[in-house]
Amino acid sequence: MGYIELDLLEETTRKIVIGIDLGTTNSLPAIWRDGRPEVLRVEGEPALVPSVVNFPEEGPPLVGHAARAQAVVDPRHTIFSIKRFMGRGLADARADARSLPFEVSENENGVLQIDVRGRKITPPEISALILRRVIEQAEEAFGGAEVQSAVITVPAYFDDAQRQATRDAARLAGIDVLRIVNEPTAASLAYGLDQGDAGTVAVYDLGGGTFDVSILSIEEGVFGVLATAGDTHLGGDDFDAALVDLMREELARDLPEEDLDDPAFLQAARLAAEKCKIALSGSPAHDLALSLPSSGTTWRRTVTREEFEQRIAPLVERTLDACRRCLSDAKLRADEVDEVVLVGGSTRVPAVRAAVEKLFGRPPHTGLDPDQVVALGAAAQAQVLMGGTRDILLMDVTPLSLGLETMGGAVAKLIERNSRVPCSHTEGFTTYVDGQTAIDFHIVQGERELAEDCRTLGRFRLSGIPPMAAGMARVAVRFHIDADGVLTVTAKEQTSGVAAEIECKPMHGLTDEEVEEMLAAGFENAQADFDARRVADLKAELGTMLRAVDKNQETARKQLDRETLEDLEEATQAARKAREGNDLDALVRSRDRLEQASQPLAAVLMDAVVKEAVTGKKLEDV
Amino acid sequence: MADCSACGAALETPLGCEACGIVLESPPESGPFDIFGLKPTWNVDERDLKRRLRRFGRIVHPDFHMGDPAQQALAETNSAALNRAFEVLLDPFLRADWILERLGGPSEQEERQMPQAFLMEVLDWNETLDAAEGAAADSPERQALDRLAETLTEERDARMQAIGRKLSPLPERGAPVLRTIRQELNAIRYLSRALYRIRDLRYGAGEI
Repeated sequence: MGYIELDLLEETTRKIVIGIDLGTTNSLPAIWRDGRPEVLRVEGEPALVPSVVNFPEEGPPLVGHAARAQAVVDPRHTIFSIKRFMGRGLADARADARSLPFEVSENENGVLQIDVRGRKITPPEISALILRRVIEQAEEAFGGAEVQSAVITVPAYFDDAQRQATRDAARLAGIDVLRIVNEPTAASLAYGLDQGDAGTVAVYDLGGGTFDVSILSIEEGVFGVLATAGDTHLGGDDFDAALVDLMREELARDLPEEDLDDPAFLQAARLAAEKCKIALSGSPAHDLALSLPSSGTTWRRTVTREEFEQRIAPLVERTLDACRRCLSDAKLRADEVDEVVLVGGSTRVPAVRAAVEKLFGRPPHTGLDPDQVVALGAAAQAQVLMGGTRDILLMDVTPLSLGLETMGGAVAKLIERNSRVPCSHTEGFTTYVDGQTAIDFHIVQGERELAEDCRTLGRFRLSGIPPMAAGMARVAVRFHIDADGVLTVTAKEQTSGVAAEIECKPMHGLTDEEVEEMLAAGFENAQADFDARRVADLKAELGTMLRAVDKNQETARKQLDRETLEDLEEATQAARKAREGNDLDALVRSRDRLEQASQPLAAVLMDAVVKEAVTGKKLEDV
Repeated sequence: MADCSACGAALETPLGCEACGIVLESPPESGPFDIFGLKPTWNVDERDLKRRLRRFGRIVHPDFHMGDPAQQALAETNSAALNRAFEVLLDPFLRADWILERLGGPSEQEERQMPQAFLMEVLDWNETLDAAEGAAADSPERQALDRLAETLTEERDARMQAIGRKLSPLPERGAPVLRTIRQELNAIRYLSRALYRIRDLRYGAGEI
C-alpha cells in the first residue's frame, strides 16, 4: 500500500546579506555566492532599478521602472535624482531647483521637505522607498529569501550629513546597515577580485549625479585608499542639463519663459536630452527631439557629438581638476598610476574616456560593467563583514577635513582630509570668561579657511562646567570618525571630574524622534493599505454570496419558512448596503450575518443536490 | 613587548594578537614606534612600515570584529591609534615633531622666533600667491606660481634632509640641537602651508 508523504518541513525563510549601490539614477543589489559577487536580478527583468519615485493620486507610491514610466504623464509627482538632496537643506535645493521642480521647504532642523500631493516628504523617506524596491528585487531574485542587512555604498566625497541621511534612509526601509562603503572603494574591490593585486589604481567614478576619484594601492588583499577627491554635484544629470539648456535657448524665441520652467517641459526635455546623450556615445550625430502634446510643441534638431562635447567640456575639466587634487594628495604623479578603472554610466561618454586617457597617459581599464561594479564590490565587502574572509581588507580615508570654529570665525582643523579611518583626534579647549559654565562648539567640514565657507555639521554646547577662573577649565573634545566615515564628537571637562553633558544638533539631519515618527507613520500606512485590500476582498466575497442568493430566489421562497425567509431578505439588504460603503467592520458584520441567514437555503440546496444524485433528476425538476 | 593576555603568544603590536586574532587594550603610553613594534629611530623603512600596517590592520580593523560589540569598540579605538601611528611614522615632519617632543625639545609654541630674512621671504611668496588668485591658467601670474611651487618643494625637502642628518643617530635628551631642529620644523610649517594653498589655487579647493 502506498502512502502519502506529508511535507512537514517548517517554513523557514533564508536570511541573506547583500550589497546595494544606491545611485542617483539607478540602484542595484548584489550578493556573494559561490565565491564571487553577482548581481541579483529577476529573470526576464532589467537588473537596474531606476532611482525614481512617483506618487499616484491613489494607492502606494510607484518606484523604479513603473515610476519612470510616469515621468512625462505625471511630472509633478515624479521625483528623480533625490540623492542630490540627501543631507542637504533648502538653500541647496533652491540652487539646484531644476533637478527638483517641486515646492520645497525646510523643517526646524534644516531638513529639506518636498511637497507632494499636500504631503511633506524628506529625501531619506524617498530613498527608503527606492531601497525597499531594491530589497524586494533581491528577495525575489533569491527565491523568497529575506534581506537581513546590507552594505550600502555612497560617493566617497559625501560629507557627514549625507552619510547620516543615507543611514536614516536604510532605517526607514527597515534594514540593518552593516557598513557604509565609498563607491570607488567598492569598485576597486570588484576590480581587484577580478585582476588580483594590481599596484596603484585610480578609480574614476562619474555617475548620474556625483563624481569621485580615488587612488588606491592594492597589495596582499589590502585595498588602501591613498587619497580621494570629487564633487557631489557633478554627473550625467549635468550632461543632460547641458542639452536641456540648448533646447531652452532655442525654444526661448517661441515659448514664454514660464513654459520653459514648467515641470512637464523640464521632465520631457530631460528625458529627451538623456536619450540623445546616450545615442551620441555610439554615433557622431543624433536628433534631439521634444514633443509636448499639452502645449502642442514639437521641436527637433540634430546635435553633433562635437557640439555636445563642447557643451560638456567645462564639466569634464572639473573632474580632471579633482583628479589632479587627488594625485597631489596621494603624492603621486599621473604616470605613477598603474591602472585607471572607469565606473559609472557617464564614463561611457567618449569625451570623458579621452580626457581620462590623456591625463593619466594610458587607456583606462574598461573590462568591468561600469553600472554593476559598485554593487558587486559592496556584496564582496558584505561577505567580509559577515566573517566570511580576512583575505580582503578595505582601508579607506575621510574625504574632507573636519574642524571647529575658533574665535574670529576661522577653522581649527582637527582631522585633515584623506586621513585613514577609523581615526580620532582630541583637542583641548578652555573657558574665556571667569565663571563660564558652558562652551559652544561649531563643527564644520570642508577645506576653506573660514567657518562660514565650510559646511556646518552641527553645533553643540558643553554645559555643566563648574564655575572657575577663565582659562582654568580643561575641556577635551574628541572627534572620532568610524569605519563608516561617520563622525562622533564627545567632550569632557577634566579638572572637575564632573561629567559634562554634550548636546549635538545635526544640521540637515533627521532626529531619532523624526525617524521613529516616520516609521510609525509607515506602519499606519501599511495598516491602511492592508485595510483597503481587506475591504476589496470582502466586497468581492459579498458579491459572490449575493449572486448565489439571487439565483436561488425561487427555491428560497418555495422551500423556506416565513421567518427564515424574512431573515434572509433582511441580511441580503444589509449586505447590499454595506457593499456600497468602505466600512471594514460593517462589511465583516454583514458578511457574517448573511452567511448565517443563508445557511437554511444552503441546506435546502444541498439536500436537493443529494436527492438529484440519488434519483438522477435535475434540481429544477424536484 | 608583553605576551598576549588571552593566548600567551608573543605580541608584535600592543594593539592586538596576530596568533589568536583578538584586539587588546593597549597601554596608554604606547607611542607610534611601540605600536609598530619598532625602536625609535629617525630612519624608517617605508616598505616595512606599510607591510606592518597591513598585518596589524588585519588584526584590529573593525571589519573583522562585527559580531562582538566590546571587541568592535576596541577595534575602532585601536584602528584609529594604528592609523595615527602610521601617519606619524611615514610623514617626516610628524615623525621629527614626535621625536623632538619625546627628547624634551621645545614645542612649536615655545620656539616661535623666526629669522627676519625668512619672514621677508614668506611675504614675497604671499604676494605671488595673491597675484595668482583668479588668474587664468596660462597667465604670467600662474607661471610664477608654478615656479614658486618648485622652489618651495625643493626648499622643504632640503630642510627636511638637514633635520634628518641632525636626528641620526638620535641626539641626547635635552641636547641644544633640538632647538635648531624646532626652528627648521617651524620653517617647514610655513612652506607646507604655502604649498597647500598653491594646490588649491591650481586645482580648486573642492566644493562640497
